[in-house]
Amino acid sequence: MARTTSDAPAAETAPSLGAEHDVELFRRMLLIRRFEETVQSLFQKGEVHGTTHLYVGEEAGAVGVADVLGPDDRVAGTYRGHGHALALGVDPQALLDEMLGRATGVCGGRAGSMNVIDLEHRLIGCFGIIGGSASAATGAALAQRRVGGVAVAFFGEGTTNHGYFHECLNFAAVAKLPVVFVCENNLYGEFTPYEDVTAGDIAGRVASYGVPTETIDGNDVWVVRAAAEAAVARARAGEGPQFIQSMTYRHVGHSRSDPGAYRKPGELDAWKERDPLLVARARLQELHGLTPERLDAVDAEVTAQLDAAAVAGLAAPYPDPAEGLGREFKD
Amino acid sequence: MPDAKLEFRRAVRDALDEELARDDRVIFFGEDVAKPGGVFAATPGLYDTYGEERVFDTPISELAITGAAFGSAVCGLRPVIEIMFGDFLPLAMDGLVNQAAKYWYLSNEQASVPLVVRSAIGGGGRFGAIHSQVPVPWFQAVPGLKIVGPSTSGDAKALLKASIRDDNPVLFLEHKRLYGRRDEVAADAPETLELGRAHVVRPGSDLTLVTAMNTVHHALAAAERLAPDGVDVEVIDLRTLRPLDVPAVLASVARTNRLLVVEEGPISGGWAGEVVARVSEDALGDLDDVWRLATADIPIPYSPPLEDAFLPGEDAIVVSIRTRLGLAA
Amino acid sequence: MASTVTPVVVDVPMPKLSDGMEEGTILTWTAADGATVARGQEIVEIETDKAAMAYEAEADGVLRTLAAEGDTVAVGALIARIEPEGAAIPDETAPPVAVAPAAAADPAGAGGAGHEAGSPEPPAPVRPETGARANASPVARRVAGERGVDLAGLTGSGPGGRIVKADVLAATPAAASASPAAPASQAASAPAAAAPGESAVGAKGAVTVVTPTRVQLVVARRMAEAKATAPEFVVEAEIDMTSAVAMRARLKALLAGSETPPPSLNDMVVTAVGRALRGHPKANGAFRDGRFELFERVNVGVAVAGPDTLVVPTVFDADVRSLGAIAADVRRLAAKARDGALTPPELAGGTFSVSNLGMFGIDRFTAVLNPPQAGILAVGAVRERAVVRDGELAVRSTMHVALTCDHRILYGADAARFLARVRELLEQAETLVL
Repeated sequence: MARTTSDAPAAETAPSLGAEHDVELFRRMLLIRRFEETVQSLFQKGEVHGTTHLYVGEEAGAVGVADVLGPDDRVAGTYRGHGHALALGVDPQALLDEMLGRATGVCGGRAGSMNVIDLEHRLIGCFGIIGGSASAATGAALAQRRVGGVAVAFFGEGTTNHGYFHECLNFAAVAKLPVVFVCENNLYGEFTPYEDVTAGDIAGRVASYGVPTETIDGNDVWVVRAAAEAAVARARAGEGPQFIQSMTYRHVGHSRSDPGAYRKPGELDAWKERDPLLVARARLQELHGLTPERLDAVDAEVTAQLDAAAVAGLAAPYPDPAEGLGREFKD
Repeated sequence: MPDAKLEFRRAVRDALDEELARDDRVIFFGEDVAKPGGVFAATPGLYDTYGEERVFDTPISELAITGAAFGSAVCGLRPVIEIMFGDFLPLAMDGLVNQAAKYWYLSNEQASVPLVVRSAIGGGGRFGAIHSQVPVPWFQAVPGLKIVGPSTSGDAKALLKASIRDDNPVLFLEHKRLYGRRDEVAADAPETLELGRAHVVRPGSDLTLVTAMNTVHHALAAAERLAPDGVDVEVIDLRTLRPLDVPAVLASVARTNRLLVVEEGPISGGWAGEVVARVSEDALGDLDDVWRLATADIPIPYSPPLEDAFLPGEDAIVVSIRTRLGLAA
Repeated sequence: MASTVTPVVVDVPMPKLSDGMEEGTILTWTAADGATVARGQEIVEIETDKAAMAYEAEADGVLRTLAAEGDTVAVGALIARIEPEGAAIPDETAPPVAVAPAAAADPAGAGGAGHEAGSPEPPAPVRPETGARANASPVARRVAGERGVDLAGLTGSGPGGRIVKADVLAATPAAASASPAAPASQAASAPAAAAPGESAVGAKGAVTVVTPTRVQLVVARRMAEAKATAPEFVVEAEIDMTSAVAMRARLKALLAGSETPPPSLNDMVVTAVGRALRGHPKANGAFRDGRFELFERVNVGVAVAGPDTLVVPTVFDADVRSLGAIAADVRRLAAKARDGALTPPELAGGTFSVSNLGMFGIDRFTAVLNPPQAGILAVGAVRERAVVRDGELAVRSTMHVALTCDHRILYGADAARFLARVRELLEQAETLVL
């Protein structure tokens, strides 16, 4: 595993986990992709409200990291958190129902897209304000170290300029907390290229805190998984916080109101050739000899699952205000 | 066993000590709180007793301190943190307001956030504008957050223990002028006091005076000075600023028909206005008069004559009541 | 990309491409009408409120466009259909109508239902004779309602002359003393130090402590309040009462033998004040709650000594009633004051006050304002005095008056003009019959 202080990912291949496991990773990424497309379609029909931030193109990050976590580990995500939720095993129907504002949603319709919480599946929260995931994970690590658990924070490269990032890195490093900070660098903070607003480079900053850091190809789920496995093991062993910079790209705009016109010409097409799903397909065909038809069948199954979820979600009941809006305090 | 005099800062320390001993999930951290024992000497010795795992010093990082409290509380611990001065709380607001206070509701009651933020607050010590504020109004409009402010040593101990045992986020405010007070505490005083319950410190028949924390003592002194004039003031110590014990105030105003709310804080936007609003809405037909005494809408000045004129002390309370009731000043 | 069998026609509505988007304009059909399209293929470019965005087909099939390039269509309205390949399904619905730019809202329309100028306000629950809503606290109103007490007749002892609960209780004497739990909300009950009647002996000899009556407490409170809240100043004048004295003598002669006594000099003062107030609204007003209150009627309170007390019964409409009527009124009220029989309505509604200590031989004094009134006239004795007329010493009956004013409403020049008018009327006393 190459360690680097620059933001250029090291070229490498990661070991196979066996055909069944490898196909499962592919399926999970497909689940996220089709889920996000379903959300997008429902948003355009006015059924998902407010705004949503889609993870399309970045699926390898969530799936690769989640695959190495155990029952005592905890994850904090951002407003672009649907992928992380699904990768942790959150029920797609309950997650979709939450987007649709239904009573059957993960949070009863109270949280919406940006603030999903599912403690049963180890998701302590998705935070609508940048930096929240880093701080929540720092706290989770403080608690979970008692039982040998590790906390993971997902955030984007924009967060590395935020006060939360520096305070939490330092705090965790000083206290040797078992937290793995995963920066999913998709090159743009909202509409701004990250180099325009970032002095120096991200990996170098983290290294200056004495925290082990690694920059990887975030579109290869096996590369992500391998890096996460090593980082989580080090953190769990008491070596303190770890940092992974996962280079990736989002295929759609920052949010639903952003057509992405600020991208450099040709950039989207180049990254689409590195689509995590295509990378996975190629590897599955190459390593395990799986046919395109076999892989298409997985896609069809996932697609059908989400189509059915959309229908069920639209038929699910809204929470009834007559039953009260909810309690302020726990008694 | 005779009633002992307990120092306020000692009361805080004892409450923390007892709760750390009682519940393994309680932890305590902040700046200069562990090895140095706190800048107001409120927490000495806890580090020696409980060790680094449970009592530790942090960097100067309010965002991370608050986040660490929030994240660990969500995962089952019961953290107590110290934000050294209440004036620093704006640096902790995202964690308290957007994360901790909202979690119970947004998660659809999957988990609550049992954290306590202790903070030293209040003026009168010539600490100047950014080390003397009372941050209650900044948090008054944050659903999901409780705010507690004791006025005596006994109350401090019982309320801090109750706050630590409360399953919701609590902001526990220690007025700096109270740290050195010594109060009698009855040997059979209750171990905890219920949050959200006010206390009638001095019964009276002519005027209900509602206040909290350090101002309680100024109010009591003012009441003694007004008694010979035939003005019998009932002094209510709120003890909890959020949620407000409105029923206690209503019951008092039903008898006295007059309400004065005295707040150490700016007149515009303070919690005194909230008390007046609630009483006006719920008991207009009981009121002969209602007014507030609070500080002017300017920052707290340093120079002693300015700060003394600025704060709602005993003299200011007496003058306010005399003027309003049409008595000779 | 997996293919989807499309057994039914799939509607393509104008998609919501951003938060807040309400309509979109079709820029370009990137797939033509009748073309075979695949799920995920871009079919149209749409201009939204924020940007131009591409939209993809959600199903495989044949595209049937229903809206044209350049059409602006509301979100949700149909813009195309995707039909299964090989099927020819008749177009059952009409294509969407392009939305015209929103007509400007008619700004005048909203005002059509507005109130007419001068439409009457609903009547206030209590309508005292002065035409103003009684200044009473909420609990005073409630208790007055419970006991059937008319607020109009009460004088308030609370801040700004507000009627408070104790004032209402005082107006119902049986009830006021009955309940021991009724709070002394005006405070100032007798100090607990000594019970009434008890004595304590010291340097000043024996001290007898007397509890003031409620009325005395009200007087104490109101005088203190006036001094504390109103910025006072005093305007003085010496009035030549020769004409008035002569007029009184003539009236006395005319009325000799009848039962009607002639008007007193003080009655003439009250009449003159009433006439003068008509032309000086600020002197007939009050400063209250940060506003000037100017009263339509002129009601002059005349201070009268009652048994061990001071009361100010009201002579209503002193600007228009005759000198004789005013005199009769004052006589009647003074008698009732002596008997302690004045009713609350007789004690209320005053807009100005006159206080005369001339009968006690007082030459000059200044009176305390009767809050919330703007002014009070203190009248001294009429005496023969040495004056200067046309450069020569003469002897005239003169009377000293002092007008105490609330400077928040009644300023020096106004006060002076008012007082000059009073003097003018008295110095030509025949004008009082006008």
